[in-house]
Amino acid sequence: MYEEFSAPDPLCIRLSGRGGQGIILGGVIIAQAAMYDGLFVVHTQSYGPEARLGSSKSEVVVSRFEIAFPEVIHADVFLCLSSEAYLKYHKAISPRAVSVIDDLIVAEDGFPSEIFLPLRRTARNLDNEMTANIVGIGALTGLAHIAQPVSVEKAIREWVKPEFRDVNLRALEAGLNLVPHSAMTSG
Amino acid sequence: MRLVQGNEAAVMGALAGGCNFYAGYPITPATEIMEQMSRILPSRGAVFIQMEDELAALGAVIGAAWGGMRAMTATSGPGFSLMQEHIGYAAMTQTPCVVIDSQRVGPSTGQPTMPAQGDVMQARWGSHGDRAAIVLTASSVKDVFDVTRLAFEWAQDYRLPVIVLLDAVLSHMRENVELPPVPDPIARKPVAVREDQPAFGSHPFIPFSGSTRTIVSGLSHDERGMTRGAIGQDAEQIIRNQLAEVDRDYKRIVQFRRYRLDDATWAIVAYGITARAARAAVNSLRESGLRVGLLELVTLWPFPEQTIHELAASVQGILMPELNLGQMIWPLKASVAGLAPVSSMGRADGELFRPEEIVQTINRLDHRNAAISSVIGGGKHHA
Amino acid sequence: MPKIGEDLTSYLRQNMMPTVWCPGCGHGNIFRAITESFRQLELDPSRIAVLGGIGCSGRTPFYFNTNAMHTTHGRVLAFATGLKLANPGLTVVVTMGDGDALAIGAGHFVHAARRNIDLTAILYNNSIYGMTGGQEAPSTPLAFRSTTSPFGSIEPAFDTVELALAAGATYVARTTTFDFADMPRYIAEAIAHPGFSVVEILSQCPTYFGRLNRLGEAPELLDYERTHTFLREDAPLLTKEEMVGKLPLGVFRNEIRPEYTKEYAKLCEAQGGNYSV
Repeated sequence: MYEEFSAPDPLCIRLSGRGGQGIILGGVIIAQAAMYDGLFVVHTQSYGPEARLGSSKSEVVVSRFEIAFPEVIHADVFLCLSSEAYLKYHKAISPRAVSVIDDLIVAEDGFPSEIFLPLRRTARNLDNEMTANIVGIGALTGLAHIAQPVSVEKAIREWVKPEFRDVNLRALEAGLNLVPHSAMTSG
Repeated sequence: MRLVQGNEAAVMGALAGGCNFYAGYPITPATEIMEQMSRILPSRGAVFIQMEDELAALGAVIGAAWGGMRAMTATSGPGFSLMQEHIGYAAMTQTPCVVIDSQRVGPSTGQPTMPAQGDVMQARWGSHGDRAAIVLTASSVKDVFDVTRLAFEWAQDYRLPVIVLLDAVLSHMRENVELPPVPDPIARKPVAVREDQPAFGSHPFIPFSGSTRTIVSGLSHDERGMTRGAIGQDAEQIIRNQLAEVDRDYKRIVQFRRYRLDDATWAIVAYGITARAARAAVNSLRESGLRVGLLELVTLWPFPEQTIHELAASVQGILMPELNLGQMIWPLKASVAGLAPVSSMGRADGELFRPEEIVQTINRLDHRNAAISSVIGGGKHHA
Repeated sequence: MPKIGEDLTSYLRQNMMPTVWCPGCGHGNIFRAITESFRQLELDPSRIAVLGGIGCSGRTPFYFNTNAMHTTHGRVLAFATGLKLANPGLTVVVTMGDGDALAIGAGHFVHAARRNIDLTAILYNNSIYGMTGGQEAPSTPLAFRSTTSPFGSIEPAFDTVELALAAGATYVARTTTFDFADMPRYIAEAIAHPGFSVVEILSQCPTYFGRLNRLGEAPELLDYERTHTFLREDAPLLTKEEMVGKLPLGVFRNEIRPEYTKEYAKLCEAQGGNYSV
């Protein structure tokens, strides 16, 4: 089921969901982690005028070289946490993209390559649905090698408020564990 | 190396430029500048105040400048429109200050969280009457730091409200950059003034002190601030001198970046965030064998007339993409003065131009040119 | 009390005189009273800044030999707030008109009061826009005429004192140009008061308000001020009928509350910053 993913350069990552799901923070953490890996990064964010509940998008471009265009057009790596965002973005991906979709989303016109994982359900099991973004990042770290796991961990320590640090680190771990062992070693 | 957001870089650049007074009013997408100033300035013994609206914000900034502080505000479209009255007042009273406008889609409330470049003419001509102006823009987080720092320096040197134009994407964009450490707060010390030192005109800015008796007015005045009598000519002369001073320092003030232009047959002229798409387009067009280069404008006003004119003489055509429905294309056309065909690409829907859209436009222009030259070269004439 | 005619010239920028004010205008009297109050307080002109808005009252800063700003219409308190924060040791006196403070500048007026920043706002209220030629102001009394209310105003007027009190000004007084002898005392109290102070002075505009409402020249207008006001402390002696249509005069509030620049200094100190100047 999981094909080997070799990251292109630049690597274009898009996270999407609802306002309040930590989409923007998730992007910042990925960008920070890639920066720790010694790469150039640009993080952009886009959201509606409402601070909460509107759709939210966060994009990270990662490269070994200086980055010209800062936004993502066709994502190589796609994470989606809400149905609205799914409808809006799930087709704007590159041909060999890794798409990780929360499995509570009903996807009637999904691509066969989309990987449905229990991101929100896993976060609920950690008693904090807010950590679904980090569960997703954990899964992407395993599947698409967006950054070194230690760098992601360090980025979480840097950007997440102290009182939520532990639960987010557990969410990262849980996300990494959602990915079958075969996928992690083949990549 | 740090992951820094555009608005944060504006704050750091301002502090590097000596900013010790911030007055503002919340507005998307500029608010983070204000929020960070509210956290940082008190620990530096510097002033932060949230005012009741944008007019009040710039009014307080001007008052603070005459009180001896390096003062700024930041806003976005609707607030920038409100500030025009006080931008004019700052110009008339030659008050150094910095205004950052993070552009969003307009007119009116428009799309508060989406980028635009629709304030480029307002930044130059927005307040009534004539004035000298310096307007800077940026295309990267590092740029935001650099131009904001420069804005403070030039505001003092030229006694102008210097305007920095960002946009919704750049304000919220994060990049890994190396920024110098924040300098210590500048000490406010009394300025020595000669009794007969005129307060306006081509004289240095001297804030209020125990030895000044300056009268500052938005009425037309002479270099001593006198508003009575036949001061029309004196007032006009002050503005003319300021315009001339800015012109004289063209090489210093008018900043731009040439990217792969040396052997270019086509030039893209772009500014702000749009220059990023243009750079990507240049790279992609070069890969396909077309010799295209980019002139990225950092200073929008004064407009780089000479530079553009020289560029126009060396290329087959110029394309200007901008996130408005065609604004800077006018001074561009005037500067090209017919030396090369000029094409405009505009949009005001809240989206950035994508590199491939610029690529397609250049390809279309190039094909048409090739068709025309083959027709002319073949000696055939169509009726 | 200062003696009339005592030398006040150290405060005056004489090369800007004569003033713009019409013969019979009350604003010259207010200007004189402000000057008297400076002398009473023995203020050093180099430690005063006088700021004005736009309108007849807004011209006052030109005539003081101090640092001075003639700002924009309605927004003088915003400039004054910035200047005071930049230089809290400065005595900042703001001259505003009724249109200036209560119409275009009403937002700034209430917020300066709310912050209780140590500024002194002298509100010259002549019930009309004088500089532009006699238009209706938010202080034009109901049924009175102006060039934009030729059939009589149908809008109730603002009560400056009530507005200032509600917004949080900590020194609020009202007097009239008829009560010339009282003016300097109120203004001096207001300047000495550490907080946002408002002194409303009912002033006469014979050129427009008097003429358009057929109230006569300056002497008749001064008498009108006398007959349409009463001293606040006399209220218990008056019947309700005797107070109808009349404004009370006196000091309406004089109390100490946390002042903005001092609070800001404390905030800085708590954050490790040194705001002292």
